[in-house]
Amino acid sequence: MSDHLPPPNIGHTWIDWAMKRPRQVLWLMLGSTLVTVLVAVLPTLVPGGLGPLSKITIDVDPENMLERHEPARVYHDEAKQRFGLHDAVVVGLVNERHPAGAFNVKTLTNLHRLTEAAKNLPGVVTPDVLSLSTVDRMRNTGPGEVSFDWLMATPPRTETEAAAIRTAAERIPFLRGTLFAEDGKALVLYLPLTKKSFAHDVSSELQKLIATLDRGDDHIHIAGLPIAEETFGVEMFVQMAISAPLAMLVIFGLMWLFFRHIVVIFSPMIIAMVAVLATMGLLVATGHTIHIMSSMIPIFIMPIAVLDAVHIISDFFDRYDPKKDRKAQVGSVMKHLFTPMLFTSLTTAAGFGSLAMTPIPPVQVFGVFVAIGVMLAWVWTILFVPAYLILLSDERLAKFGMKARSGSDQEDRGYVWLDRMTHRRARLVLVVAALALGGAVFGMTRIKINDNPTRWFEADHPIRVADRELNAHFGGTYDAFLALTHEPAPYQAASYGAEVGKQLDGFRGAIRDELAALGKALGKDPAAAPAQLIEQQEQALRQTRTKATSPALRAAADAGLDVLGEAFEALESEAGNAASSDASNAASSDAGAFATALAARVHARSTAVDAAISDALAAVTAVTASGPASAEAFRAALTTKLGPSEDPARRPVATFLGTLEQSDEVWKQPELLAYLEGLQRHLGEQPAVGKSNSIADIVRTVHRDLVSGADADYRIPATATIVAQSLDQFLSSHRKDLLWHFVTPDYQRVAIWVQLRSGDNRDMEAVTKAAASYLAAHPAPVKLSHPEWFGLTYINVVWQDKMVSGMLNSFAGSFVMVLLMMVFLFRSVLWGILSMIPLTLTVAVVYGVIGLIGKDYDMPVAVLSSLSLGLAVDYAIHFIARARDLVRLHGSWDLARAEMFGEPARAIARNIIVIGVGFLPLLLAPLVPYQTVGILIAAILLLAGAASLALLPALIAVLQRVLFTGSPKKS
Amino acid sequence: MMRSTLVSLSLTLLLCGAAGQASAAEPTLDEIIARTNHAAYYQGKDGRARVKMTITDKQGRKRERELTILRRNSDEKKDADQQYYVYFHGPADVAKTVFMVHKKVSGDDDRWLYLPGLDLVKRIAAADKRTSFVGSDFVYEDVSGRGLTEDTHKLTKTTKSYYVLEHVPRSRDKVNFARYVMYVHLTTFLPTKVEYYNDKGEIIRVMTVDKVEKIQGYPTPVRTTMEDRASGSKTTIEYSNIEYDLKLPDDIFTERYLRRAPIKFIK
Repeated sequence: MSDHLPPPNIGHTWIDWAMKRPRQVLWLMLGSTLVTVLVAVLPTLVPGGLGPLSKITIDVDPENMLERHEPARVYHDEAKQRFGLHDAVVVGLVNERHPAGAFNVKTLTNLHRLTEAAKNLPGVVTPDVLSLSTVDRMRNTGPGEVSFDWLMATPPRTETEAAAIRTAAERIPFLRGTLFAEDGKALVLYLPLTKKSFAHDVSSELQKLIATLDRGDDHIHIAGLPIAEETFGVEMFVQMAISAPLAMLVIFGLMWLFFRHIVVIFSPMIIAMVAVLATMGLLVATGHTIHIMSSMIPIFIMPIAVLDAVHIISDFFDRYDPKKDRKAQVGSVMKHLFTPMLFTSLTTAAGFGSLAMTPIPPVQVFGVFVAIGVMLAWVWTILFVPAYLILLSDERLAKFGMKARSGSDQEDRGYVWLDRMTHRRARLVLVVAALALGGAVFGMTRIKINDNPTRWFEADHPIRVADRELNAHFGGTYDAFLALTHEPAPYQAASYGAEVGKQLDGFRGAIRDELAALGKALGKDPAAAPAQLIEQQEQALRQTRTKATSPALRAAADAGLDVLGEAFEALESEAGNAASSDASNAASSDAGAFATALAARVHARSTAVDAAISDALAAVTAVTASGPASAEAFRAALTTKLGPSEDPARRPVATFLGTLEQSDEVWKQPELLAYLEGLQRHLGEQPAVGKSNSIADIVRTVHRDLVSGADADYRIPATATIVAQSLDQFLSSHRKDLLWHFVTPDYQRVAIWVQLRSGDNRDMEAVTKAAASYLAAHPAPVKLSHPEWFGLTYINVVWQDKMVSGMLNSFAGSFVMVLLMMVFLFRSVLWGILSMIPLTLTVAVVYGVIGLIGKDYDMPVAVLSSLSLGLAVDYAIHFIARARDLVRLHGSWDLARAEMFGEPARAIARNIIVIGVGFLPLLLAPLVPYQTVGILIAAILLLAGAASLALLPALIAVLQRVLFTGSPKKS
Repeated sequence: MMRSTLVSLSLTLLLCGAAGQASAAEPTLDEIIARTNHAAYYQGKDGRARVKMTITDKQGRKRERELTILRRNSDEKKDADQQYYVYFHGPADVAKTVFMVHKKVSGDDDRWLYLPGLDLVKRIAAADKRTSFVGSDFVYEDVSGRGLTEDTHKLTKTTKSYYVLEHVPRSRDKVNFARYVMYVHLTTFLPTKVEYYNDKGEIIRVMTVDKVEKIQGYPTPVRTTMEDRASGSKTTIEYSNIEYDLKLPDDIFTERYLRRAPIKFIK
């Protein structure tokens, strides 16, 4: 290498200053790092904290991948509150050996014991714990009798009792596939948590409890997304503790292999340490949480931080001559590398910094802080490495350098071969590259976007095992909820008043008809005994009432029943007054007169009711004119206007007011429940859906058990009244509040609980699509607002979508930014584009392979796309910068080539190896995303390096005439 | 033993003439228990009240129901079996529902249900009395009374206004509380506050009497609240139209009156 120096710039002043005052540089670096670390750590260590300074906070909640005000997240939180739902830990008891499956004394006893103990665990929402021992059963225990009791108040004592529990449980569709497996081999316990962060503690406590149980053949698993997420958070720190030091060790080992000089290679290690400590210190001090993403910062900074220092040492290693002035040699190396190092650092920082463009806060923080770390590493490389090299004594450096080393022929022969091959077979290299690109594009079209937090664990992890076993038996441990909301017509006093008037008029018509019919019927059988006559008519009216689907008809039957009831009471008290032993006999003598009198009474009532309704209609008109602000205000005004009345003729008006109040309670209407049923059936056809539960299931079950217990009565009742009365019985159980998980008390909103067997985002997406297409094809009987999904399984899909589109933007952004930087650096559009080619090919090939082998495009894969850009361009920068320097020096590419494939190529190759291999310790991490990051980034760097060293010379060989026009001839 | 004490006490009370009249000597625990039971569930020979029930959940959402409760003591002389007739006025879609109970001091209660929507009468068999009373935070047992023999009782202290009683269930399996503490008013013997504790010593339910009025000489709670601390739900009952000793005929409390409510009494 020549001593021809690039034109001086500001960097050279820094380098000269650092070499003049090496000790100051050392103290400055150590001092500033120490201060940052103390500011970060002390508030946490000092009890009570340090005023405004931030403590270390750890956040393992993937929900935070979405911003707090993100609509899907806001809705998720609101809906969870609205339906009283909590994220739950799922405990499964599987028994494959016992002939009765899990329905044996021991397993049921274990379930009971676990349930009872779990109720007392901190963080568990005790009243909402779901297990066979905390739910009710309603049974038809004989003609005219219904029984309510706990399904399993105490554990069974005999196998017969255990079998009876199974029989009973199987009668309750809500439980099947949810609390017990259809094959009878597994039971489940749901433990809702007040906060997701309790999941790990609850799980540890459960493990302790499980250890004390007599398990026999029971396999007890703990599953559910909160567990997966919390456990991930805990294990993330384990991986940090393993991977980060290991990466350090690997890098150290590789450097020792290349440079064989412990003291010299300490300097890159020191820079890596300083950069990591200062960056993490800044992260904490600025109040950021340590999240799944930010936990990866150290492992990213370390290999990048040593990059520049490795270049310097590699250069210095090749040219160091102990006999010459060390300051001049160090200065020359530093000044040659200053600009390429600045740009490689800037491009890397830009690549990471582009993550700030994603809409995902933890990814933004990750990107920005890695960028800061990269620039910090650059600053200290420029200042500290020369200072360090100056501070070393001559003796220490005696054995350092190419001149002190013998034999690296093989490595050198490799570079020579590479030089020849890329020159002579340049076109072949280009054809191969083009073919690779074609294949990559094809592969990319087959990319599957998918993620699943459970699969962040290795296949043999207990969480994965639990996931597999439980989802094989149950309707699924992944919950998603679909909320359907009634959207009432917009209120307007005039139209509302008109509607109310119309309905009231309907009441009047129905009552008039019904009472007229009653009057006529009374005249038909004049000989009947009065009591009998009344009872007959009452029965007929009750029949009418039962079948009535309209409130008007019901009110009409009630009006008739009222008159008859009064008549009956009068009859009874008359009989009492007469002190007769046989009241009906006494009256029967005058049966015909009684029937006539009764008919007259009915007629009088009809007239009175008519008048009362006319008054009410006038009141409606008056209230309408006053223009109340809302439907509620309207009803209140009407109620006030009508006033209280004991008059039986006014009772239909009171009933009408009550009915009006309930007119928006749409989810009691049979048509809507049937609609839910249809939607659920459709959802059930989706492969991922194992089970769904809704208010429709509750209504059908209660209806069956109230009426007869026969399967034929497992249906949506004919009228909203029967629905309401069935639900009232459900509300009179031990677990009344279960209902409010499925419907709001105003009966305007329902939630369908959908259980998925897989937490794959693709599966969840398929389910949302299926629901959307069903809802589009089947308009609801009333107007529903836009259906909304919530639940953790769904939230994961939302942030994945954000991630994918965000990453695409970020990738495009960083591509343009890096390209512009390259054009600026090389002062040439053509060279700028050229420098982008190897990494573009690399990224395409890596993602093409991901598409071809069917690996899911998940969170780590998405994050890597944009940051790899900034990292992979480094080799091209170094290659092109040196190539252009050398061409400038030697006059042509042909003359420059030989030297290019000497020291510069070696420095690049070594860098590729150090940094590429440096990420591989991530493969030892217990968590899959870290492994993915490790393997992908190593692949990207090694490929980008290879592409730079092979493709760039080939491209230069082909394009040299265009590229080097205007280059100065040899001076 | 409990029962015989109760019987003799009731007789004593009868001889004295009025329940409110405190005996000169400090009452024994058994006496306090018996008189509390009487004040809470047995005042008058019979009674009627219109009930407005407001159930407010954790999020402040309210549901209202209106009922009439008729009660009749089987035995005029002692606090023993009773009949209850609960008629629903509203919400509109459950109006006319009737819930009837024949409470038995020994043996299981008989319960009936009439559902007007289905025109269906059902006998109800229930394993326990801890199910919700018509969807409220009161359980069935709160309304009709918990059997005195089901708990062991202790007078923990006597304050200026209250006897503080602690009751521990004999059979822990059947209830969701570990014990309950009752603040019984010294002169009226009305339990004014009852706190139910779980095994961790936390209060999970609280019943409070918010307002008492003297009606026909009987101190009567006219507003009570049950708060379920575990679920965050709360039910307030407001009583109106209260009347004692209205000579309810016993045949009202029979199956044939489920379908045809006694209009005269249920207003």
